[in-house]
Amino acid sequence: MLRSSEAGGVVYSRLIAKEGDESTYELFIGPQHPASGHMRFIVRLEGDIIVSVDPDIGYVHRTMEKLAEGREVIKSIPLLERMTIIDSHNVTLGLVRALEKLLDVEPPPRARYLRTLLSEINRIASHLYGMGIAGIMLNHSTMFMWAFGDREVWIQLAEDLSGSRLTHTYSVPGGVRRDLPQGFADKAEKAIRYMEKRLRDYMAIFLDNPQVRARYEGVGVLRKSEASRLGIVGPNLRASGIRYDARLAEDYAAYSELEFEVPVREEGDALARMLVRVEEIKQSMSIIRQVLRKIPDGPFFSEKYLRLLPPPLREQVAKTGRVKFPGVFASLKLPEGDAVSRVEMGHGEIFYHVTGNGSTKPYRLRVVTPSFRNVILFRYLMPGHRFMDFPAIYGSLDYFPPEADR
Amino acid sequence: MSKPVSSFKLHLRAVATGLKYLLFPNRITVYYPEEYVEPPEGYRGLIRYYPERCIQCGLCAMICPASAMKMYRTKTDRKGRPGVNYQRCIFCGFCVDICPQNALEMTKVHDVAYESLNELVVPPERFSQEPVSPAVAGGARRLKTVFDEERGLRHELA
Repeated sequence: MLRSSEAGGVVYSRLIAKEGDESTYELFIGPQHPASGHMRFIVRLEGDIIVSVDPDIGYVHRTMEKLAEGREVIKSIPLLERMTIIDSHNVTLGLVRALEKLLDVEPPPRARYLRTLLSEINRIASHLYGMGIAGIMLNHSTMFMWAFGDREVWIQLAEDLSGSRLTHTYSVPGGVRRDLPQGFADKAEKAIRYMEKRLRDYMAIFLDNPQVRARYEGVGVLRKSEASRLGIVGPNLRASGIRYDARLAEDYAAYSELEFEVPVREEGDALARMLVRVEEIKQSMSIIRQVLRKIPDGPFFSEKYLRLLPPPLREQVAKTGRVKFPGVFASLKLPEGDAVSRVEMGHGEIFYHVTGNGSTKPYRLRVVTPSFRNVILFRYLMPGHRFMDFPAIYGSLDYFPPEADR
Repeated sequence: MSKPVSSFKLHLRAVATGLKYLLFPNRITVYYPEEYVEPPEGYRGLIRYYPERCIQCGLCAMICPASAMKMYRTKTDRKGRPGVNYQRCIFCGFCVDICPQNALEMTKVHDVAYESLNELVVPPERFSQEPVSPAVAGGARRLKTVFDEERGLRHELA
């Protein structure tokens, strides 16, 4: 679109748009830019000072909510875990919890512990992904390669537990699909000890590195009042001094029976957001240790559904540690009513609202994802900073475009 | 730099950490297809069908979230038998978990390549054949993943 300036009738392109004065430069980043992900930013610059940023989402919109309304509820689990494929257990745990409330079924204690275990493995993998991306946005290739390489350790643990590297489809209404494999505790302990050492190296080479500190310290400060006003969630909220975590607010999985701290920092800058993630990785490893120590014996799938299996299959489930679904799972009927649930993902709180109307498909399925709630930060944190700070702030937010688009 | 003295120490620490990994790298590269990492027990790879156990109930096709599994009518059977379209399959394993006769099983094979899209549609006859990994058939060295507290992951001969 061409615009003509009032003075002299000179025709300017949209890129040199006249916004009050001609020194404002409009810059489009993405949707194919490597730092933007699947989204576009419309950045207005004065010199190299950012005047405004408009995050333009919608480039990976897959109508997940509508698709989920057109299929049987059990089929929504593999569908919706593709929203945040790097954190696929946490993203579906909320849905499974909402379905369990509607179907009136409770997972047995062992299943609750196993859910916690995979959730925490996913959280570590998700934070490592975020830290790696943040590293490459500052041209710190070492951080990127280290974080992605170490993520492999946690993906391998998740694969041992669920049989799949990324799309675990582990929790289903009534429990989980696999029991703890033999020797898992030993593997997890080795992974934790390795990661503890590596986190010290991460600090030395990345977060304590004066070059990186200069890019992060005091950059993109999110004040406590602003964070609560904008409804920010996850580590971005906790780095601004607000102690809110859905694991504490909502009693789900086995979190109420485990001891852990919620890392909080007061600074609210990009560095604080990254440090909160490092602390959360440490807390997650502590939770994994506690789960493996405290996990109770017993079934990992609800008696309500196990009863529907013929006796030989029931014995097989107990012997092999792998679930067998009763035939009714292919067409589970959701009773009339609503259920809501919230779960803490690596990126923040995810919220589900499922409405049943007595059919096999949900009448309405609503998801509010953490990245969708955090995307507003691009508009509020960037102005006033130099353009060089744009990737630094973006990386520190751990924003995941496909999750916001759903 | 506003604090050159304290920063200097931290710069040195960062460089020393980099040097440590330059001298003692902890790479986990696997030279596929000369080497092949065996997935763990219970891995969700390509699906194998055992026709003799199948009661042709169709639950696998009903639960498939990607509509990859379909019941195929054959000349000999009145009811259909399952076949899978690997263009659509997401390897969730729901079909295996719901099969009341254990007629479906997930194998550890996951690296099969096909020459045409048509070959990805596997009818019941081909579905009942054991899938073969091309790397293993080509004589790749089998490796297994081992957790290591010094290096994270290591690969050893299986």
